[in-house]
Amino acid sequence: MKKGFLKRLIAPAILGVICLIWILPIAYGVLSSFKSEVEIKDTRFHFIPETWTLDNYKYILENSGNTPIIKWFMNSFLIAVITSVGVALIISLAAYGYTRIKWEYRDQVFYIVLALSFFPQIINIIPLYKIVDTLGWVNKMPAAIVPALASVTNLFLVRQFMLGIPIEFDEAARIDGANDFMIYSRVIMPMLKPVMTVVILFTFTGQWNDLLWPSIVFNDVQKMPLTPGLQLLMGAYGNFNTAPVITAAMISIVPTFILYLFTQKYFLQSLSLSSGVKG
Amino acid sequence: MKRKKKKVNLTHLVFIAPHMIIFIVFIVIPIFFGIYVSFTKWDLIGTPQWVGLDNYKEILFNTKSTFNRQFFDGLKNTVLFVIFNVPLCIVVPLAFALVLHIRPLGSKIYQSVLYLPTLFSITSVGLIWIQLLNRRFGLASVMGAKVQWAITMPYAWIALMIMTVWWTMGSNMVIYQAALGSVPKEEYEAAEMDGAGWFTKLVKITIPSIRFQLLYTLVITIAGSFNVYGQPTIMTRVDLGAGPKINVLVQYIRSIAFGSGQSAAGIASAMAVILGLFITIVSIIQFKMIRSED
Repeated sequence: MKKGFLKRLIAPAILGVICLIWILPIAYGVLSSFKSEVEIKDTRFHFIPETWTLDNYKYILENSGNTPIIKWFMNSFLIAVITSVGVALIISLAAYGYTRIKWEYRDQVFYIVLALSFFPQIINIIPLYKIVDTLGWVNKMPAAIVPALASVTNLFLVRQFMLGIPIEFDEAARIDGANDFMIYSRVIMPMLKPVMTVVILFTFTGQWNDLLWPSIVFNDVQKMPLTPGLQLLMGAYGNFNTAPVITAAMISIVPTFILYLFTQKYFLQSLSLSSGVKG
Repeated sequence: MKRKKKKVNLTHLVFIAPHMIIFIVFIVIPIFFGIYVSFTKWDLIGTPQWVGLDNYKEILFNTKSTFNRQFFDGLKNTVLFVIFNVPLCIVVPLAFALVLHIRPLGSKIYQSVLYLPTLFSITSVGLIWIQLLNRRFGLASVMGAKVQWAITMPYAWIALMIMTVWWTMGSNMVIYQAALGSVPKEEYEAAEMDGAGWFTKLVKITIPSIRFQLLYTLVITIAGSFNVYGQPTIMTRVDLGAGPKINVLVQYIRSIAFGSGQSAAGIASAMAVILGLFITIVSIIQFKMIRSED
């Protein structure tokens, strides 16, 4: 009885209040995108626009010169999509190699890879720039895409998930004459759907929102992705036109939000890192 | 002698090679090259000149050097950030996950709302928060702010931590939720038979059952906190450059290596290596602690 009360009234009430506070900054951002510059900078703070306007959205659609927000959006979109597809393919192949095929020193190799990935990224960012520069990739999309394909966090996640798939599936397919590539593509891949959706969500979101690395390898305004682009718009000391920038920021959250809505149901299923670790 | 003929199956190489090649070229080589560069004088363009431990001496002991001042300022702020952030980013999401785990009415919606901010970029998040915190026209003005919070101590720290927890908490929360889902119900039922309260159950059953996930998130959160860059970078972009700012080590490393003016990539690399050592040592201690518990 007591538990039902907690479940039905107290917990939802507290969570409800917290969630209202939690969503407040986002609501403020969305509402502000419909305000005029004058209204945003009005010293009387108001949450809801007094006069609704679409000027900010018009400004973003029309401006393509020094603040090509639409171009940035497309750049980000291409980078995020190509990386996601590449990661899904490369990581699932590698995870198969580290779980379904037996070879000498397999687990040792994986643990070395894992240990190396724990090295702080900041050490490799300067040499990475030099490598990317030598390859002629500065201001080009591969600079943002290719290094992200080597993600070990995702490999770890997919490997954990794959360890939970009984080996009997492979054996049955092998008896039917399937080789490793057929088992990978027809047996294992379809079963990876939950974890792959989450890997794609993480990769897409990570690429879409990355700031440090793209701000180093992109200095051409036209070639830039959205996140460092917005930072550029904010200027060095915050003397910027707030209304269009905040509107661009709100547009920038749309793709990751939509992707989340589609992938949400697979979430908890794929994140129980425990399979194969216990024991 | 005849060579022993053994059938070697190389299928596994086809599977792991694409990842392995990219991993070696873009992660392993840069790490070792980065450590090497930290012992050289280098401007990112010419050939690195070997200088031994000079960069480290300059950063750590030459009190007249700007690099020394920047390093210790950055280190102080980075360590403070880790100390504030790590407990918050473990306890807050764990609390939410525990409450959501009892499946209160509307828990699906609440989960989504709490996770939502992690989907956004730091530029978007920072932009909204510096507007809200603006003394002249933001929410802060309604709350009677007399000073510009983002650049006044200790408000700057409070603002930074609130923003960080709000932005990042969700990713640990979903890991805990998934973990809680796999704790066997029988254990709770047995404990309830013995008359255990919620706190006993939390300490005796829940925490030990999700130990692996707690360790995982702890390591990731600490490493991530040492690497903090986005939040202070965006937050200090408020008002004209006055006032003390929170500048972290990664910001200094970035500006020393890639900022305007001549690059001191050797110095920046040495700072990165020291930061890397911090992270590595802390991670090793954590693994040791967990292992000794077994």
